[in-house]
Amino acid sequence: MRQYHPLTPAELARAEERLCHPTPGGRIEAAQRFGIDLTLLIEQLRLTPAERVRRMHEVCQAAEQMRGAARRDRK
Amino acid sequence: MNFVTAVQTLVDAGVDFVIIGGWSAILHGSSHTTNDLDLCFSRQSENLKCLAQALAAFHPRLRDLPGNLPFVWDEVTLRNGTVFTLSTDLGAIDLLAEVTGVGDFDKVKAHSELIQAFDRSVWTLDLPSLIRAKRAAGREKDLRVLPELESLLDAREPE
Repeated sequence: MRQYHPLTPAELARAEERLCHPTPGGRIEAAQRFGIDLTLLIEQLRLTPAERVRRMHEVCQAAEQMRGAARRDRK
Repeated sequence: MNFVTAVQTLVDAGVDFVIIGGWSAILHGSSHTTNDLDLCFSRQSENLKCLAQALAAFHPRLRDLPGNLPFVWDEVTLRNGTVFTLSTDLGAIDLLAEVTGVGDFDKVKAHSELIQAFDRSVWTLDLPSLIRAKRAAGREKDLRVLPELESLLDAREPE
């Protein structure tokens, strides 16, 4: 149980470097082979947790609106 | 769906809970989307009362319960179960008293981090424990997110 610590600029730079240039044989490279878009992770890491929530909330709201519109069109 | 309102309501009501699952992954940097809000809750009597009262306004109902069957949402119902898959006016909310791979609420809380999000201070499972929980759950949708979470963990690792 502890306080979440956001990445310092140096830690973020190191994380970006690792994601841009995965170590051969490592788990990041394996994730890339699996199909994970590592650039999306870099983008997420640049955000604060609050910004990640806000962005996901907007995605959820937009998806809901589209689902609502699709339902109305079917009627 | 409005999980922001759901989280804010629970925090403001003083409910002791930890965000787990997809929203925890999002808090840690996952780019996956999720359709529900998974929470681990304390089964302390006072907490069950707060939780029941806080969610009552959003008309919770078990998702797998046929529409014609009655469902009473109160602290007694909460005391009699450990897993509640609810549909609410705010969206699907899953309440769990324990998390596979981590343990009961006290263990989950012990492996959680206090994070500023949802315009509140909220507890969420830490990244290593979230990975452990996803692996232990073992469902396809849990396993699918593992490579991303492990990448986030490795990217954040100190030298």
